[in-house]
Amino acid sequence: MSLLEIKDLTIRFGGLAAVSDFECAFAGGELMGLIGPNGAGKTTVFNMVSGFYKPSAGSIVFDGKNTAGLKPHQVTALGIARTFQNIRLWKEMTVLDNIRVAQYYRLGYGVADCFRRSRRYMEREAQIEHTSREILEALDLARSADELPTNLPYGLQRRVEIARALSLRPKLLLLDEPAAGLNSADVEGLISLIRWVHEEYKLTIWMIEHQMKVVMSLCQWIKVIDFGRIIAEGTPDQIQSNPEVIKAYLGDENI
Amino acid sequence: MQRYSVPALVVLAGLILCLASQFGWIDLYVQTTIMFLFINVIMSTSLNLINGNMGEFSCGHAGFMCVGAYVSSIVSVALFAKSSYFGAPLLPPAWAVLGMPLSLLAGGVAAAFAGLLVAFPSFRTRGDYLAIVTLAANYIIMSVFVNLDMVGGPRGFMGMKKVISAMNEVADIPWMMLLTFACTVFTVFILRRFLSSSLGKGVNAVCQDEIAAEIMSVNTNRIKLVAFMLSSGLAGLAGGLLAHIMGYVNPSGFGILKSTEAMVMVYLGGMGSITGAVLSAVLMTGLIELLRPLGILKWVVIPLLLVLLMQFRPAGLMGSRELADVFPRLRRFYKFK
Repeated sequence: MSLLEIKDLTIRFGGLAAVSDFECAFAGGELMGLIGPNGAGKTTVFNMVSGFYKPSAGSIVFDGKNTAGLKPHQVTALGIARTFQNIRLWKEMTVLDNIRVAQYYRLGYGVADCFRRSRRYMEREAQIEHTSREILEALDLARSADELPTNLPYGLQRRVEIARALSLRPKLLLLDEPAAGLNSADVEGLISLIRWVHEEYKLTIWMIEHQMKVVMSLCQWIKVIDFGRIIAEGTPDQIQSNPEVIKAYLGDENI
Repeated sequence: MQRYSVPALVVLAGLILCLASQFGWIDLYVQTTIMFLFINVIMSTSLNLINGNMGEFSCGHAGFMCVGAYVSSIVSVALFAKSSYFGAPLLPPAWAVLGMPLSLLAGGVAAAFAGLLVAFPSFRTRGDYLAIVTLAANYIIMSVFVNLDMVGGPRGFMGMKKVISAMNEVADIPWMMLLTFACTVFTVFILRRFLSSSLGKGVNAVCQDEIAAEIMSVNTNRIKLVAFMLSSGLAGLAGGLLAHIMGYVNPSGFGILKSTEAMVMVYLGGMGSITGAVLSAVLMTGLIELLRPLGILKWVVIPLLLVLLMQFRPAGLMGSRELADVFPRLRRFYKFK
C-alpha cells in the first residue's frame, strides 16, 4: 500500500481552476520535488494535502485513509507535517514552547488534568519537554531553546520551523520553499540538513523549491506543474532537458 | 519548605484579612473596597485570558458576570431565604454555610455556558467582527434579565442579605471576605496552571498565528471553546460574589461600562500577563478610592493617567511578562509548577 495517493485532484476558486487533475503517488521513503513557475499552483496542492483547502474534486488517500472532510489538525495527527513559504513560527513564544505546543495532538491529558496537576499531566509534560529538547538537540538548536524566534537569524528560524514540523513525528514532511530567503551558505546547510533528516528519520519528504541547486541535488523524482496541470515529471536530469519545462520557465522562443 | 512557602503566605494573608474584618481593625468601607478589589482582580485576570492571551477583543465580559450574579443569587435565595419571588426556603437557612460556595459555583457554571454564546461564533470569525458579537452577547444577556419579571425585571433582584445573615447566625465570621478571597486565589491559581501547560500555551499559539496552530495539530476550536468557557465562568464567579456583597443585583449594572472597566484593567496591566492583570486591578481600585476627595474631577484625572501611561508604556505595566520574569530570583525561591 502506498503512503500517499492523490487522484484527479482539482480545486476551483470561482471560475479559475487553480489545480486540475493533479496526480501523485508515494510508496514511502522518497524525496520528491514539486516545481513550477510562480502561480502554478504548487502551494495550493500542499494546502489541499494538509487539509487547509477542500478540493473541488478528486481524492487524497494518506496511509489508507481518505483525508476528505478532515480538519487540518486531524490531517496533521495522521502524520503529515509541513512548513510554510514565509516562516510561521509563534513569534512571542520561546523556541522550546514552539515545539511543546506542536505536541498538542498527543498531549494525552485534558483540561481537568491541567488544573489538578494530576500524575498523568506531570508525566506527559515531562515527556513532552524531554522529546522537545531531544529534537532541538538533534537539529543543533539546543542553545536557542529559550530564545524568542524573532531574535534568531533567518536561517535558524527556518531550522526551528523544520524542527517543529519534525517534532510532530510525521510520516510525510511537506517543505514549502525551504530555501526561500536564505543566503548561499545557509542553502548549503539546508541541503545537508534535509538530506540528514531524510536518512535519520526515514521520512518521506515532498518539497516545493525554486532554487534549482536545492532541487537538483536532493530530489530523486520531480514533478513540474504549470497553470495547475502536470506538464512533466522525471529524474532531475530528465527535467533539466525537458523542452516543456524550459518552455514553461523561459517562454516560447517562437512567439 | 520552599514548596509550601507560597501557599503558606496566601493562607496567612487570608487569615489576616479575615481577622482584621472580624475584630473591626478595618472599617466596613475599607472591607467593601477590598472585596471590590478582589472582584476586579477576578474580572481582569479572566478577561486577560481572552483579550491578552488569545488576542481576541471581547467587550462583553460584564454580560457573563451578570449571568453569574443572577444565577447564584437565585439559587441561594430560593434555597436558603424566604422571599417574595420563591416563597419559603427549600432548605434550612443554616445550610447556607455549605450551600453558599455551591451557589457561587452554580453561577460560574451557568456563566460558562453563557460563554458558548461567544465561543461558537469565534470558530468562524475573529478580530473586530468577534468584538461586535461579544458586544451583542452583553446586550442579549442584559435584555433577558430586564425582561424576566420573575426575578424582578429592571427593578433588580434582592434577598441575598438574608442568606448572609443566616450564615452569620451559624458562625459570626466575615463570610463574604473569606469567600471573595478564596475565589480570587482560586481564579489566579487556575489561570496560572492552565496557561503554563502545553495545552494552555495553545491559546497563545492561536493568538500569534492561528493557521500555523491548526496545521501544527492544535485543535483551535477546542482551545477557543475552553478559553471562552473558562473566562466567562470565572466572570460569573465574580458576579455571584458581587451580588452577595451588594445584596441586590440590577441588570443595568452589567452594561458595556462595566465591561469597559474590565478591559481597561487588562490593557493597563499588559496583555497576557496575569501579574499585570492583578496589579492593574489593585491600582485601578486603589486610585478610584484614593482620588475620591477630588469628586467629579476624579474622572478627568484617572483617564488622563491612563493616557499618559499608554504613551510611556504602550504595552501596559507589565507587557507580557510575569512576576517571575521581572524578578528571576523568585524562581530560586519558589518553583513555579
